[in-house]
Amino acid sequence: MSNTTVKQKRPALKVAKSSKTLNVSSGVFRVNKSISKTINHSFSGKSFSSGGDSRVLDKSSAQTPKHTVQVFDEHGQDVAPRPLYNPDPGVLQPKQGKIFPAQDTSSWTTMTDFPSVAFQTTNASNTGPFTRSFFGSISASRTSQTLESVTDETKDLLVKQDLSNSLSDVQARREEVQEQVREDVLDSVVDCYLTETETIWLLDIPTVSVSEDSEDAEAVKERNNAYTELCKNRLGNDKYVERSMQTFNGAPKTKEVQCDSITMVDKAVMSTIWDMYDSFCNKSDVSGNTVVSDQGNKADVPDSSSMSKLDLNPKGPEQSKSMVSISSTVSGSSAQLEKMACVLLVEEEPDHELILQSDKFKQDLAVMERVILANIFQPKLAAYRQLPVIEDPDCVRMAMGSKNSPSPFLEHLWAFECGLTMGRNVSSMTWNKKNPDLLAVGYGQLDFKDQKSGLVCCWSLKNPTWPDRIFHCESGVTALDFSACNANQLAVGMYDGTIAIYNVQAAEQTPIIDSSDCSKMHTCPVWQLRWIDHESGLAGEDKGEILISVSADGRICKWVHYKCLECVDLMTLKTPDLATNHMKWNRTISALSPGLCFDFHSNDSNIYLAGTEDGYIHKCSYSYKEEYLETYIAHKGPVYKVTWSPFCPDVFLSCSSDWTIQLWRQDLQRPVLCFTSGQKAVFDIMWSPHCATVFGSVSEGKVEIWDLRISSLDPTIVSVTCPGVNPTGLLFTSETDCVLVGDSEGKVTVYKLRNLTDGGSTQVETLEDVIQSTLSSQH
Amino acid sequence: MCDYQKCKHWGGNQDYTSTRNKRKTHLCCDMAEVEDTLKRIQGYNGVIGSIVVNAEGIPIRTTLDNSTTVQYVGLLHQLTMKARSTIRDIDPQNDLTFLRIRSKKHEIMVAPDKEFLMIVIQSPTE
Repeated sequence: MSNTTVKQKRPALKVAKSSKTLNVSSGVFRVNKSISKTINHSFSGKSFSSGGDSRVLDKSSAQTPKHTVQVFDEHGQDVAPRPLYNPDPGVLQPKQGKIFPAQDTSSWTTMTDFPSVAFQTTNASNTGPFTRSFFGSISASRTSQTLESVTDETKDLLVKQDLSNSLSDVQARREEVQEQVREDVLDSVVDCYLTETETIWLLDIPTVSVSEDSEDAEAVKERNNAYTELCKNRLGNDKYVERSMQTFNGAPKTKEVQCDSITMVDKAVMSTIWDMYDSFCNKSDVSGNTVVSDQGNKADVPDSSSMSKLDLNPKGPEQSKSMVSISSTVSGSSAQLEKMACVLLVEEEPDHELILQSDKFKQDLAVMERVILANIFQPKLAAYRQLPVIEDPDCVRMAMGSKNSPSPFLEHLWAFECGLTMGRNVSSMTWNKKNPDLLAVGYGQLDFKDQKSGLVCCWSLKNPTWPDRIFHCESGVTALDFSACNANQLAVGMYDGTIAIYNVQAAEQTPIIDSSDCSKMHTCPVWQLRWIDHESGLAGEDKGEILISVSADGRICKWVHYKCLECVDLMTLKTPDLATNHMKWNRTISALSPGLCFDFHSNDSNIYLAGTEDGYIHKCSYSYKEEYLETYIAHKGPVYKVTWSPFCPDVFLSCSSDWTIQLWRQDLQRPVLCFTSGQKAVFDIMWSPHCATVFGSVSEGKVEIWDLRISSLDPTIVSVTCPGVNPTGLLFTSETDCVLVGDSEGKVTVYKLRNLTDGGSTQVETLEDVIQSTLSSQH
Repeated sequence: MCDYQKCKHWGGNQDYTSTRNKRKTHLCCDMAEVEDTLKRIQGYNGVIGSIVVNAEGIPIRTTLDNSTTVQYVGLLHQLTMKARSTIRDIDPQNDLTFLRIRSKKHEIMVAPDKEFLMIVIQSPTE
């Protein structure tokens, strides 16, 4: 059966090309061996005996390298294992042309070399017994059949050339087929058939154990039993003879191989939620910073490594630079990238400087400062804000001798002062309209004699030791006011008559606008400034906020900020002629009395009061420039301050240097009440924003709080300041019951009003009752 | 004119650090301002020491001795990392801005950042 199949193989030639035929001759032998073995296995497990079939096998093996592998099983089906490498026939076509002629010579040479090669291999004697005999048989068969093999060779080569031609045909056909495909409509539906290839068995080890339930079990058992009996009978049986063979053991040879040492590196990755979020954000943020996206992944690793293990030993400058540059690119700010560009050129020293100058550092510094101060000032601030004071559990606190006196007094909380403000005179204070923690204090000498440059400091309650903003002015500051609409605008009036508006948000030293260009600017000190909001704007008048100022040159002006400050006179303070009831103008000399203060009515922004140096208080109308509505004459000295009561719409208060404070009702020509407590000029007064009957006054050497419920003759609280230091300004806080006092040494002290009776309501009726009773008692 | 209130420099040829924080200060005055603030912080009541280090632990400014500085920095850096990791694990869009540790004797305040670390140690006021 094997013969027939072998003979069948000779003429049969398939188109499929095997690359094994191109192998070198020595390789052919091994291929033959494997092929022969596979052939044998396909013959349903029949054992192979070397003796009988060797010749036949030689022939087959001699010829099989030239032909393609043909494997047939019992049924004649082609079960040849398909080659694992299928070269493109089109590509190899030219190669074939070249190689075949080359192979002619090579094959001829290999043929002639066969005997020599074979003999060499036999002499080598390092092959197994099978191979040796194989080679020997090969050589024998070769010499006898050289001619035949040569003819076979030529036949093979001719066949191969036919093969190549057929292959070229195939190639051409293939190309035609491809062109056809391209011309076809692409939308045509193509049916694809999926087929399964035959199973390729790579390894088949039949089992050596059989289940007891199978059909062959009985046969197997019988065979097993027969075998065991055979083994038992083997010992003394003559049928079985022990023989021994000597095998040649090959001489072992040590072989060394050297390779690079395998270095082990520990690698760890920390995976956290934020790490993943960061990588995702960095990856998706491509449009923003390309540097970040490029180095995002790379930078994450060194960044985390630099953060995870803080290397306290300073590295070399290059390494540290690279670390800083990577971390800064991760932070992703373009300004810092620019900084890094110059850092890499310079040494490490300015690196620290850049950190210190960075914005983040300044912010953190500010926060840190406030945190420290909050720790230090916590009791005071808590008292200010009427919060419970937290006792520090670890701090040994001396039992404060708290004044448990029932009488009202001023408790000193803290003082706003710093080295910059020492020695300056506080001239004006005002709260910010939007942020109740922000206080603007103006420093300037009020006398003509010692004038120096002025200063405006914006203090925050969170930092009583250093102002948040410092503005230097050329001349002394005499008036301040924050705008209500734009809470960051601060109007500053100065001793030389200039009015400047500063933007408090930015710390720029230059004001937004200055009135020094205006032609109608004040020529004398601006004593008061106020932003007035005209909700009820008259026809033709501009609504919104307007800045109004009064100055010692006798004018009350309205300032409008278009492109530059423009000034419009609201009123000129002419001295009224007291001889007659009407006001006469002195045509020859028109003297304007210097205005010192003014106050707009809280409800009706058309009416305002103005106090002059003559001691007159004029009630004027905003829209009427020529005449006063009314004049109140009582003071004998310059009127320093006039304020409407925040609760009673008709009542106002005025203070003057004639040691008196007068309480007026706007319909009465004479004051209702007069308060004196000493023989010193009263510089400043202010109504309390909480209680209608309380107001505070500041005179030389004393701060007084008056409460009209208790007494209208004596102040309720008198606080004497240090000798030599004069309080010059008073300010109530709108949120809490504290009062600020500015003095001539640059300090602004914060006091808390203690034990002042709080009636609950605003006590408007009380005030009116007081007034009524006073009036009735007068008549 | 330089915005720094103690600026005594003449002329305007010196470099300005302008648009960054919308102020026009000389570069040297900018530094001087920072130094002023640091000095003020150190001078407050109860402040024992203040340390500013860069990302690698090299002290930029410190008022304590070197060994104490190194010890504080090493320990607080790890704690800050852990605190930041905690905050961001809960919500990755959040970040740590300030850390205060109150102990029996002191309060340690840490302002962390990617590039630097600022530490101030304060004892309670009496």
